[in-house]
Amino acid sequence: MRNSFWTNYSSANFFDEAITARGNPRVASRELVKFFKGLSIQEMRDRRMAAELAIREMGVSFTVYSDNKNLDREWPFDIIPRAISSAQWDSVQRGLKQRTQALNQFIDDVYNQQKIFLDGVVPREIVLNSKNFKEACKGISPAFGAWAHVCGTDLVRNHAGEFLVLEDNLRVPSGVAYMLENREVTKRVLPELFQNYSISPVDDYPSQLHKMLVSLSPRRIQKPVVVVLTPGIFNSAYFEHAFLARSMGAELVEGADLFVGDENVVYMHTVDGPERVDVIYRRIDDDFLDPEVFRTDSVIGVRGLMRSWRSKKVAIANAPGSGVADDKVVYAYVPKMIQYYLGEKPIVANVETYLCSEKDALQYVTDNIHELVVKPANESGGYGLMIGPKATEEEHEKFKRKIAKNPRNYVAQPTLKLSTAPTYIDDKVDARHLDLRPFILTGSENWVTPGGLTRVALRKGSLVVNSSQGGGSKDTWIVDTGD
Amino acid sequence: MLSRVAERVFWMARYLERAESTARIANTFSQIRMDLPRGSELPWQTLLEIFGADANFYDLKRSASEHSVLHFMLARVGNPNSIRFSVTAARENARTAREVLPEEVWELVNELHLFTKEFAEKSVARRNRFDFLMQIVTRCQALSGLMMTTQTRDHAYRFITFGHLVERLDLNARVILAVSAAIDSREGANPAFDGLIWAGFLEALSALGTYKRSVGPMVEPDSALNFVIRNPDLPRSIVYCLNTIRMSLKSMKSSEKVITPIDQSLKSMYTFDAEEMSVETMHKFVSGVQSCAERLTNNATNNWFLPTSL
Repeated sequence: MRNSFWTNYSSANFFDEAITARGNPRVASRELVKFFKGLSIQEMRDRRMAAELAIREMGVSFTVYSDNKNLDREWPFDIIPRAISSAQWDSVQRGLKQRTQALNQFIDDVYNQQKIFLDGVVPREIVLNSKNFKEACKGISPAFGAWAHVCGTDLVRNHAGEFLVLEDNLRVPSGVAYMLENREVTKRVLPELFQNYSISPVDDYPSQLHKMLVSLSPRRIQKPVVVVLTPGIFNSAYFEHAFLARSMGAELVEGADLFVGDENVVYMHTVDGPERVDVIYRRIDDDFLDPEVFRTDSVIGVRGLMRSWRSKKVAIANAPGSGVADDKVVYAYVPKMIQYYLGEKPIVANVETYLCSEKDALQYVTDNIHELVVKPANESGGYGLMIGPKATEEEHEKFKRKIAKNPRNYVAQPTLKLSTAPTYIDDKVDARHLDLRPFILTGSENWVTPGGLTRVALRKGSLVVNSSQGGGSKDTWIVDTGD
Repeated sequence: MLSRVAERVFWMARYLERAESTARIANTFSQIRMDLPRGSELPWQTLLEIFGADANFYDLKRSASEHSVLHFMLARVGNPNSIRFSVTAARENARTAREVLPEEVWELVNELHLFTKEFAEKSVARRNRFDFLMQIVTRCQALSGLMMTTQTRDHAYRFITFGHLVERLDLNARVILAVSAAIDSREGANPAFDGLIWAGFLEALSALGTYKRSVGPMVEPDSALNFVIRNPDLPRSIVYCLNTIRMSLKSMKSSEKVITPIDQSLKSMYTFDAEEMSVETMHKFVSGVQSCAERLTNNATNNWFLPTSL
């Protein structure tokens, strides 16, 4: 072996995505492993430097809220791609479509007939007490029954390598721009690898997104006007908002650029006067969308937007109120929803989830808190969760009190043995835990990204992959292995 | 084009022009000071007056020395006329208008910002000053050239041109007013050096060579003034700025409401001749140009930038 950086690689007790327990590369990763093992340590460093340079040049950055001093940080990227075989992906992909379909039917049902409550499949109060249930959305049925037009579903793989859904992000999921940029970087830095592989391209996403958004337009015209609505430069995902607007050829607008005029039509201010807007891809939370209906102190929203949407003068993606299904308690019912709406068995399973609102489960969680991951029902970004085995006695007690005070607000899951993949850290290739966020588009048709955004916990043994908390990312390859 | 984005592009261009002009003028000013004998030199305060920055400066309760004035104009973060401030403002505007600009524009503005941030403070002393100022000029020129050769001739381009030229108009007027006032206010100074001072300002406007070719090697104050005000072919003359703004905005919606001050200003230019008029009349003309620049900005703001409801 020519190098020293890839010796003694092992991922004891976990499922490793590239290397089997016996130490052989898996089929999809075979060429990848061979290639990297053939590099010298200097070549490895050079490639990593090239990647860092590419990221800086492309201006890929993300923002951390609490970081007053250095708002923009460069995107942490690991050069070793993660490979998944297309045969395996195919079933995951079908599972994701199935799941989003059921979720969309559920949202539509909740705001209309509420059959699922009447049939006793999901308890009414769990949904109606959720802060993501929006009274103002009742009685609306958007085009194609589609509410969560862009869905980012977090997947993990367990000790057996089986894909599981960890959570559904149905409000304003982010990360897709990084998925695209990761591929750009890999193409620049490891061009040779693409010769020996048949890898599904990902750069189709902006045009698929645009196609989906156009399909929602209430006006049947040749070129509906699509805009991306951003809270502004200080939002952590501003880079992505600008990126998507640019790559779709759409205007990037802020709330102040839009207004609702006569007959509830939405316009944007341009130098040629007001121009009508048909579809708004909004990256603002429901609460800030329209001060007339939601938070009255919102300065980033558009007054009257809900009126316009309710009278079908404008389409909003994701539809307001979609977040009602983006709740860790509702999550637990998704397998039942799939059965109920589609009459099918879930193709991709949930992680086992204990609802603290249920008496037996609450008892179990309290007794076994040191072994469980406890999550608040609707926080995102990995904030506010507690990983039992890694937390102190004191934190266990603190969480027990928090749960007892507001059981509806907490769920618990067993600590998963998340899969790992080889990651280049400190001149050595070492195993790190990862997850995967594919993006599912729902308009007149469904579409799933081939792969998605892989996030990797860069600290050894860590399970937290969020970029705001020390996570990195990898390019994700769906590889045609010919089987 | 979105009104907000148009406004940001306009101000990006204005601030880039301001950074470049400030660098040019600060450089010229420093050079002239070295050439003039004691008793004939211009006070450092003139540099502040050109940019209308004197009031802000004296708020700091400092006396106007070479070091304090140049620090204020080059490096002071809180001075809206400093190079440091202008470059930061240009960058912030570019950052939120990236999607209508060629990708390299953002990269160059960003580099200019990093350069200024690192070196402005260290470049106040004479030793590093000239190099720093020339770097600022060169980098701003590279940006102008890049936009001229790569920006589609769309609304964004029109607002870039407008921003550059309206800033130039305003600054040229300020330079003329402040310098001629400063020259006159020196008691007992040798008038033989006045030509030298004007030659310096022709140089700051990249107009000295052309002046020498078309007028003669000796710079004479009145003809220098005529040259930078009336010459329609000189890209930094007042008439050139007025004509070009007019041309680039003509095709825009409701432009007639915006560009009326230009027509008035141009009309007055026909009768302008520094040799035939008193200093007071000349000042009135030039102040008219300055208020034209101000009205242009206000008109554009009201017509194109400020959102008006249906």
